[in-house]
Amino acid sequence: MSARECREFDKALSRGERAVAALEIHAGACADCRERLRLWREISEAAPELHKSWDSPHLFPGIARALSAETRSAPAAPAADSPARRRRFAWVPAAVAASLFVLSMVGLYVFKPGESARDPFARPSMGKEPLMSNQTLKEVEDAESNYLSSIEKLSRLAEPRMANPGSPLLVSYREKLQLLDSAIGDLRGQLEGNRFNTHLRKELLAMYQEKKHTLEEVLKEVKS
Amino acid sequence: MQVGRPLENRSPVSSFAKEALLPESERPGEQRDDETRLLEECRAGSVEAFERLYELHGARMKSIAANLLGSVADAEDAVQDCFLKVYRGAASFRGDSRFSTWIYRVLVNSCYDTLRQRRRRPVEARPEKWAPETDPELAAPASDHALRLSLEACVRDLDPRRRAAFLLFAVEGFTHREVGDILGVPEGTSKTLLFEAKRELQRRLAKKGMAPRADA
Repeated sequence: MSARECREFDKALSRGERAVAALEIHAGACADCRERLRLWREISEAAPELHKSWDSPHLFPGIARALSAETRSAPAAPAADSPARRRRFAWVPAAVAASLFVLSMVGLYVFKPGESARDPFARPSMGKEPLMSNQTLKEVEDAESNYLSSIEKLSRLAEPRMANPGSPLLVSYREKLQLLDSAIGDLRGQLEGNRFNTHLRKELLAMYQEKKHTLEEVLKEVKS
Repeated sequence: MQVGRPLENRSPVSSFAKEALLPESERPGEQRDDETRLLEECRAGSVEAFERLYELHGARMKSIAANLLGSVADAEDAVQDCFLKVYRGAASFRGDSRFSTWIYRVLVNSCYDTLRQRRRRPVEARPEKWAPETDPELAAPASDHALRLSLEACVRDLDPRRRAAFLLFAVEGFTHREVGDILGVPEGTSKTLLFEAKRELQRRLAKKGMAPRADA
């Protein structure tokens, strides 16, 4: 038996049960390992003797009393998670999922950010509203031209005062009208490349309304 | 209904080999039917069903609890507590494991709870350590008293999971699959825990100078 051989059992222990079992041949020639292997096996052989056995005549009667008390305090309540109960409430997850889906769709529709909210520098032409038909476009353009002609009339009336504003209020009105004209020009430029864009049309209409309203304010100011 | 290897059959390797090769689906149908019937009756709160359960598993449950807790009184309390938990939990038992192994799982967890409570308790309030050789209630050891006592002492000092795996497989005769179910670990982990337990026991016994039996 060499010193190297004496470490075989420790090596086998580090490799697992099979390695220990495979030590049989080595153990035949190594007394130390044979002893240790025998002790290893005796652990398994002696283990069942650790089984404890004693009479306890009062144990089950005590259990039965406790169970009876428990049964009385909670009489045959249907199982919290019994198959019948699970079947009865099987629709709940589906209903919850459907409700969540509807809520999320409504949320998306209501709280969907506009183009400008998503990107403050985005051009208005990036809108994704549905395109209008040729007939609708014609009607919108006719309405626009009528709107424009009424704005033109108002502009002509306000022009003399705007050319020579006599008060700070009229100066600010003039600046506002200049800004509105600039925005209207931009929008019209974009619409030339995308005449069916509903979003741009709405933006342009809002600008026209604002310009008309501002011109009316100017004329009111002049009269007063 | 028989869980694990019969206690009379003390050869873990042979019995494990037989049972490990037998898939769950190929186990006798009658046994599964018995368990299902017993489970349903337990769910209904039938005391007779619990009595049958006690007849089938009580002895093993007491032994496991006694070995884990080291006290006859605590073991009996744990078994009673386990039966109440089985009654309360039978309704929610989904059948992921066998009813019989689930009962032992409840028991082992009850014992762990008791051990945790004990750790929190002041030292003076703890029960005295169990001295099995002086306990008149326990059956006398069959043979090799010295080795058994040393082994028992060493088992008490094992890490709880290794101790549970050793007690369930080597002492009570459960298969590794059942030990895995009871401890909530894969079968392979049960084998590893058992091996680690035996390695630790071998080391401790060798340290104590425990010589192998002369007649072995």
